[in-house]
Amino acid sequence: MTPMHTREGTIDRRTLLKVMGAVGATATVASACRSPFDESVSAQGLTGGKFDKGITLATAGPGGNKQWRPGDAVKFLPPEDIPVRGKAADLLASLPKEKLLHLYERMTASRKWETAMKDLFLAGKDGLYGAFHTYVGEEAIAVGVISTLNQDDYIASTHRGHGHLIAKGGDLNKMSAEIFFKESGYNKAYGGSMHITDMSKGIMGMNGIVGASFYMAAGAALHGMVRGTKQVSVAFFGDGAAASPYYFSGIRSCANQKIPTIFVNENNFQYMGVPMAFTVPTKYISEYTKGLDIPHFLVDGNDISAVHAAASEAVEWARAGKGPSMIEAMTYRWYDHSGFAGGRVGQDGAMGLPYRADEEVRQWMSRDPIVRYKRWLLGKSLVTEVDLAKIDKDTQAAVEASIDFARKSADPVPEAGVLNTYAEGAALATQFYNRKGLGSQPKST
Amino acid sequence: MAKKSYNYAQLEAVAQEMRANPDMVYYYEYQTPTATLPTGEVLDLAREFGDVRTSGRGWPIDEQWIVGAAIGAATAGSKAIARIPTMAAIFAIEYVQNQAGKIRSMTGGQASMPFVLWVDGAGRQRGSAGQHTDVGLEALYAQPPGTKVVVPSNAYDAKGLMITAIRDPDPVIYLDYGEVKSGDQPDVPDQAYEIPIGKAEIRQQGRDLTLVAWAPATVDAKRALPDLAKLGISVEFIDPRSLKPLDVETLVASVKKTRRLLVVEHGHYTAGFGSHVIAEVVQEVPGVRTRKIAFPDVPGPGSAVMMSWLRPDAPKIVDAAIQLMKA
Repeated sequence: MTPMHTREGTIDRRTLLKVMGAVGATATVASACRSPFDESVSAQGLTGGKFDKGITLATAGPGGNKQWRPGDAVKFLPPEDIPVRGKAADLLASLPKEKLLHLYERMTASRKWETAMKDLFLAGKDGLYGAFHTYVGEEAIAVGVISTLNQDDYIASTHRGHGHLIAKGGDLNKMSAEIFFKESGYNKAYGGSMHITDMSKGIMGMNGIVGASFYMAAGAALHGMVRGTKQVSVAFFGDGAAASPYYFSGIRSCANQKIPTIFVNENNFQYMGVPMAFTVPTKYISEYTKGLDIPHFLVDGNDISAVHAAASEAVEWARAGKGPSMIEAMTYRWYDHSGFAGGRVGQDGAMGLPYRADEEVRQWMSRDPIVRYKRWLLGKSLVTEVDLAKIDKDTQAAVEASIDFARKSADPVPEAGVLNTYAEGAALATQFYNRKGLGSQPKST
Repeated sequence: MAKKSYNYAQLEAVAQEMRANPDMVYYYEYQTPTATLPTGEVLDLAREFGDVRTSGRGWPIDEQWIVGAAIGAATAGSKAIARIPTMAAIFAIEYVQNQAGKIRSMTGGQASMPFVLWVDGAGRQRGSAGQHTDVGLEALYAQPPGTKVVVPSNAYDAKGLMITAIRDPDPVIYLDYGEVKSGDQPDVPDQAYEIPIGKAEIRQQGRDLTLVAWAPATVDAKRALPDLAKLGISVEFIDPRSLKPLDVETLVASVKKTRRLLVVEHGHYTAGFGSHVIAEVVQEVPGVRTRKIAFPDVPGPGSAVMMSWLRPDAPKIVDAAIQLMKA
């Protein structure tokens, strides 16, 4: 195994500046930074600052490395002492205090809600069932990107989308109730974890099909275009979905028609248990679309300032009618693909999984995006310990209240099974000898 | 009311609904939406509605994109049509199966799906071979949950079903087979009108035998009707027009009277939609004598000689009817 910190000599400053620029705050930078991959990419570059020390954590991206071994993702760890100095941090620091606290609150709510669900699943007392894909460790991306959107902008999410929902203002009560498959859940117990949707908040839904977010986001953006609303639309996707033909199809057509979309790749180095090294032939996923005349951003996904800065530019670009852009945010998931193998009640992170090294998990957990954000907020005296402690306490209480709400909610009636497929009427209850009386053929008009 | 071509009647329906719904979009590949009346009046939807609401002069050859973008727009709230060629309908099935037909249910009724998949169907014609001869996609698209399937067989139905499909809040698969577009067409009213989805049309009343055919098979059925009359067989000819939901009531009422059911389809035999028609009827009318004739389980060959032998055409319909009468 290669040591975590490898010295690779002096980094070409011009290359780094390009990468840095991608997370800078000016609109001109976006077009100048289309392709930060001409030469080696520095992990510091991902953070949007601190490039002057010239330490390279990895000269090559994780893609295409057939010698990849469990544990190698530590080579891509962002520096410890961030959030950073530089443009991205300055931009974030320029936000009003209540907005900074709101970002902390949403990240914390997402973390606490998922962690509570993890403990409930593992404890087994509530009899929870179904898929559950945690977003723990990746919260800075959802909150950083969505912090740059208007309320009526759209997001299309993935199977790993609880964090997206919470960032866009998802209601914890309805989310918990959906995990419990109760009638009061967001999707009235039809959906469960993988399908939580809130159309009223521009949340086009989580989706059980890898790669489904591209067209959903593009279609929502088209809906905005025909109404001339200047709404933009974000497609979140993982490194696995980048292999989907829908990715190329969607981003190419959005570029072709200048559709206001932002493709946000949450690259956590692995799809299910398969390392990105074996599925991505280029060093980074954002190299795939290099040939398109659109901005590309490569950022440290565990640094909310870097994500926020890149997204700010991407949103500005889209709203100006210039079309799509691509953000690749490097991050890491603390738990298994789905469910909680290797997890324990009261303990963060999943250990002992066959496809990755525990040390790698621990190292990435030490770059916790929430802790880093908190440290930066306090370090710059933008907020107080008291402010944050209150949020910690309030979000914990909201999470617990949501679980209570879910427990007390009613199960759906079984006959609801033939409803909600069509706008009107019920599907025929063909499982019975006598179908009549349980439903009628769906009626049109 | 000028005599309208089938193509004009359809585009007139789309244009009328696009005028009434400023958010509505119509995406297609190369099928530039223009049509002309004999009087010279031109309908040009790309010019009228611009290249944000339509695909303008055309979109890339990427049917998944065309269908997916329309489904995304429909989920967000636009009425949306995606029009694709026949061979591509198989590409579109993934997004229909996994998204269009399921999003309302998966979201607990939060999302509507005012989406129309308009498939330019192929036909059992000579010279094309294989990929450009498929008929019977209705069985494929009727199978996923949440879909509706319509199969117009003349210009009047084509316009009315298009309008109803666009107004429907659920995904409607509109299978548009080329063979039904030529020949004598009924008059098509100028104003917008609806043909209810799920309502069959009894094209001819009869006592002895119920003949069910839709889309291109109606062409052969109509050719067979005079010969059957000459033979003294009183045929009740029903065109279901929509297959899902299927107007089982009308079919059952007819077969209760005739006690004989002949289903003709151009789709491949195994698991073709005609099998479902028979299953629906025999469950309600025990003891009915029934037969399905369909295109065999082979790809359509290029040769005219083979193709016309394979096609369940008028002489074969007449023969099947005679045998059912004897049975």
